[in-house]
Amino acid sequence: MREALIVSRKFSLEESHTLAVAQEHGAYKTLKKLQNLSPLEVIKIIKESGLRGKGGGGAPAGNKWALMPQESEKPSFLAVNCDESEPGTFKDRQIITKDPHLLIEGILLTCYAIKAIHAYVYIRGEYYQYQQVLQVAVDEANAAGLLGDVKITLHRGAGAYICGEKSALLESMEGKRGHPRLKPKQPEPEWYFGNPTLVNNVETIASVPFILEHGAEAYRSYGTERSPGTLLFAMSGHVERPGVYEAEFGVPMMEYINHFGGGVKNGKKLKAVIPGGASTGVLTAKEAEEVLLDYESLRAMGVSLGTGGMIVMDEETSMVAVLKNLLEFYHEESCGQCTPCREGTGWVDKLVGKILDGRGSSADIDELLEIAETMNGKTICVFAPAVSAVIVSFLTRFRDEFEAAL
Amino acid sequence: MMVQVIVDGKNYEAEEGSLLIDLLIKEQIKVPYFCYHEALGADGNCRMCMVEIAGQKRPQIACDTLVKPDMEVSSKSEKIEKVHTDILELELINHPVDCPTCDQAGECSLQDFYMDYGLHESKVRIEEKVKHDKHVDLGANVMLDQERCVLCARCTRFTDKITHTHELGIIGRGDEAKVSTMPGRKLHNPYAMNLVDICPVGALTSKDFRFKQRVWFLETANSVCHGCAKGCNIYIDHHKIKYEDDMIYRFRPRRNDAVNGFFICDAGRLSYKLLQNNRQTMIRHKDEIISEEKSIALYQSLLKQYKNSITVVIDANLYNEEIEALVDYAQRIGAEVCAPLECYDDTEFADTMLKSAKRAANYEKVVKMGLDRTMPKTSGLIINFNHTETFYAEMQIDFSTHQRPNASFILPIAAYSEQSGSLTNEDGLVQMCEKAVHKNSPSPTLREWLQKVGL
Repeated sequence: MREALIVSRKFSLEESHTLAVAQEHGAYKTLKKLQNLSPLEVIKIIKESGLRGKGGGGAPAGNKWALMPQESEKPSFLAVNCDESEPGTFKDRQIITKDPHLLIEGILLTCYAIKAIHAYVYIRGEYYQYQQVLQVAVDEANAAGLLGDVKITLHRGAGAYICGEKSALLESMEGKRGHPRLKPKQPEPEWYFGNPTLVNNVETIASVPFILEHGAEAYRSYGTERSPGTLLFAMSGHVERPGVYEAEFGVPMMEYINHFGGGVKNGKKLKAVIPGGASTGVLTAKEAEEVLLDYESLRAMGVSLGTGGMIVMDEETSMVAVLKNLLEFYHEESCGQCTPCREGTGWVDKLVGKILDGRGSSADIDELLEIAETMNGKTICVFAPAVSAVIVSFLTRFRDEFEAAL
Repeated sequence: MMVQVIVDGKNYEAEEGSLLIDLLIKEQIKVPYFCYHEALGADGNCRMCMVEIAGQKRPQIACDTLVKPDMEVSSKSEKIEKVHTDILELELINHPVDCPTCDQAGECSLQDFYMDYGLHESKVRIEEKVKHDKHVDLGANVMLDQERCVLCARCTRFTDKITHTHELGIIGRGDEAKVSTMPGRKLHNPYAMNLVDICPVGALTSKDFRFKQRVWFLETANSVCHGCAKGCNIYIDHHKIKYEDDMIYRFRPRRNDAVNGFFICDAGRLSYKLLQNNRQTMIRHKDEIISEEKSIALYQSLLKQYKNSITVVIDANLYNEEIEALVDYAQRIGAEVCAPLECYDDTEFADTMLKSAKRAANYEKVVKMGLDRTMPKTSGLIINFNHTETFYAEMQIDFSTHQRPNASFILPIAAYSEQSGSLTNEDGLVQMCEKAVHKNSPSPTLREWLQKVGL
């Protein structure tokens, strides 16, 4: 597998989080390039690079940037989403602890392109120690005069998963309860206190310096036609070497797991893989053998790439227990705004709990699928549809295990 | 611009860009909803008002759908009915189903929708349901039952958008979410009891009304609040229990966009108590209860005795028709007329929402008719028509709805809820009040008394 280090290039360096080491290895060099580029030209390059949002959705980043007004009476803002709360996902914290200056550089480039005066990094509350590393880096960069007119503020979340949803994140930043907002009727920026705001994931922003330094084509030389570039894929669960390893899109999943992760732990057989964070569904071992790690290939399998945080499960794993574990999480984390999600997540958790305890009946399995149907596509945000997809994905692929538990 | 919309195969007209749910409500096309309220706007959380829209893959909520030209909407297809049923079932899985002891029963959206879309057996046993507090005293006469709540957030939006007092919020997540005030804080605003009306279910109930009467026994009449000159439209809900008298149980706001919108103030809402309590029911002279016949003779002899020195005092809460009849009557008996208003000016009561500083229902009528608004000048005889002030005269006759402890000659009259009539509000709008209460032994109305004492 060919090496593809775009975001994690400096991760292995000693003291990589310090400004001195970062600058020694080229940090903030791209800022000079801005002298010969207009904001719109920067957006054009990002569009050409095909950079896709790396927070899970995979929407083209350039299109989102283009929604930001270049002429506006209101101030524009950038909100960097570091509310990394998806089970199985732990890539952003690598960036903010191992190369925080790459993120800051990306923030400066992005703010230039969208004419933002102030960038917020919304960090989940549990990342307190990582936030401190980033804060030191921001202070260092500021002291070195690198930030220019841009202000960078770190905003701590209070531990709610839903605040990773971009509109809930902004509600939370506004000091309100983190509830997702109703979707706008046409494409428009997000709004922070009524001001145009771009919300992007940490890794997306951290990919920007490479693109500006080497050009859109260089970025596109990695990955596939429709999923260009790289991702900080990650592995957890039953692998020999769990962790975050950057790779280009389109590599075969098993090749990645074997190459970086050293295969399934203790030489056991693979049973299933959750491809990209808890909410992305589940693949059987057979499917995992066939699938490639890009948005389109996983979509074709009926699951999604998400954040690329794979959870690997060996032959001894009880899929009923895994689903129960996931549903407990969703039950705890549903924000409670929409009825299907608020009530549905609790109910499915209880039903799977029943099956796990051996008190279930085949009617419960049908009931689960029916609730999943009600939870799909009827809520403000995609939380409930994701839960629905997880349930359907587990029950269709491992139905025999659920039936055996009855 | 008005455009054509097709709903369930029928053509309707609606403003382009307006909310689809407003059209459905206006045209009385049945669609279930909890969180939408015309005064509070769309919030989109209950997910009940789903409709199918041609060209859209998924069902859409009508409260967040803007009307477009030639939009084709289906509110009753088999598919959409199933969506309503399924979401309603989720709404009910943690509901305590305590309708027999719930004051909202009979006027509860959850009950109504269950009859329309549900009718399923509960799949979750009572002991598996999520438990919350059932008796939370929020303050301001509002009680909260968190288990009955459907989290529609109408109440929190009311305190955010209407009263701007922000006392209520939702705390907790998922099925642990519940409405609450901040720790140690209470609901505290003069419109708080509207929360009971806007709550679509039995979560918020009135401390004043709860456990008093089942709503299906109540009869309703349209009336106008007499708490101030604003003229807020109300419903008078009353009921006569067998062998007892017809009683008012509550006032509720009646929507009138030209006057009060959807709401009334709590002072006005609770004014039914003042109306109903301490009523004068007997004719009394000095310490003696006398017959109607005797009272009429006494009245007439007093008129003769004080001829040329009589003042008629009119209360500014009387109906238009009563005030006009009294002015006419005074003229005929050669009496002075006054309608003192100063005692009704109360700037402390007033606010910028609905509460007026003029605390008499027909204040404007008195002004319009150009009546003398000062206290009566020295007189031999004052004939007081329900004014509550104390006057000074050699002799005073009181026609009064309520008891007057020091009255020497008092004749009971029917209150506004016991007869129909009209009022002129502070903006000059003339509004009708229906007769609501039918007393077992009704006191004569003012106009009936005028007939009796001889016009």
